[in-house]
Amino acid sequence: MELDRIVHEPARLRILMLLSGIDSADFNFLLSTLQLTKGNLSSHIEKLESAGYVKVKKTFKAKLPNTTYQLTKKGKGALAEYWQQIDRIRQTG
Amino acid sequence: MNNKQNNKSQDQNMEKLKEIPKWTRKYAQNRTLTIPVLMVMGVLLIMFVAALVGFPLHLAVAGFRKGNMVLGFVGIALFVAALAAVLIFLIIFISKFCCKNSGLIEQLVEQRIYGKEGTASMPLPKIRKKNIWLEIVFSVVFFICFFGSWYLSMKGYIASKYLQPISVFYIVPLLVSEYFQRRPRLGPLFLIFPALYTIHAIVIVAGVPIFFTGNLCMFNIFLPVVGYMFLAYVICHVYSRYALKKLKRAAHLEEGGTDGA
Repeated sequence: MELDRIVHEPARLRILMLLSGIDSADFNFLLSTLQLTKGNLSSHIEKLESAGYVKVKKTFKAKLPNTTYQLTKKGKGALAEYWQQIDRIRQTG
Repeated sequence: MNNKQNNKSQDQNMEKLKEIPKWTRKYAQNRTLTIPVLMVMGVLLIMFVAALVGFPLHLAVAGFRKGNMVLGFVGIALFVAALAAVLIFLIIFISKFCCKNSGLIEQLVEQRIYGKEGTASMPLPKIRKKNIWLEIVFSVVFFICFFGSWYLSMKGYIASKYLQPISVFYIVPLLVSEYFQRRPRLGPLFLIFPALYTIHAIVIVAGVPIFFTGNLCMFNIFLPVVGYMFLAYVICHVYSRYALKKLKRAAHLEEGGTDGA
């Protein structure tokens, strides 16, 4: 049984878990909640985006650029699958 | 022994992680200080509109009663102008901020209050034609009941102390329907507001003298509405702080797992 490496990384797992509870969150929210550096967060988001787990939306809010992130269907599926695998491992181990 | 301890701490970590969506949702739902701002703005707007429309009407009635036709017609003209202004305002407001763009003002105010924390939002409630009609029906019933009970109270059919308990029958359903319309954006803590309003009515009926009489009887409804609304939203806001704290604790990352590899 192989765990999804994209999801299994602690910071990325937290990003996905955060986004799974809501509709969308912006960069600042993820930054302040997860207490990551901007560079780290960007790099994790990039990986999640390229895997198709997170949708990035760039808009303007009060004339300032605002980037929001949303969990995709694929991301939801991957997260659910990941937890199922973890639960199975915990039960057998 | 060490293995058992490791397994236990891993289990705890997993449970902590699984709590992240719950606290994120609770945090996002209770960032409510934006909505009371809007609602108070709405109440103030209604008061302003009432004054805008009521004053020229009063002027017209007084003019005609005293036989001063000029004053009467000036009053009528002002009344019509005020009504037209209100109508134009409503058309502009609805076309700009309702339906397709609903939540736009909310977002703008939210940005001001919670800007430093970033934005986490719940999905917008689905706009269905049936819901819009339901909202319109509830609002019309509300206004009929509100002005009707007011009129009956002025005529002496309803004692002013019972204005608030009677209002429970049309205000509480409106608030509860509002909650269901705005779900999941609004959390269940919003229901504190109708609950407190109902308790206030029960207390009055039980004989506790927490009401105004005479000219101040209009405050019998106004003060509990504004007061409990604020109280409920402040409770929601405080709860959002608690949820954020819990969320940060649950999402706290141990050293060494943050390099984006």
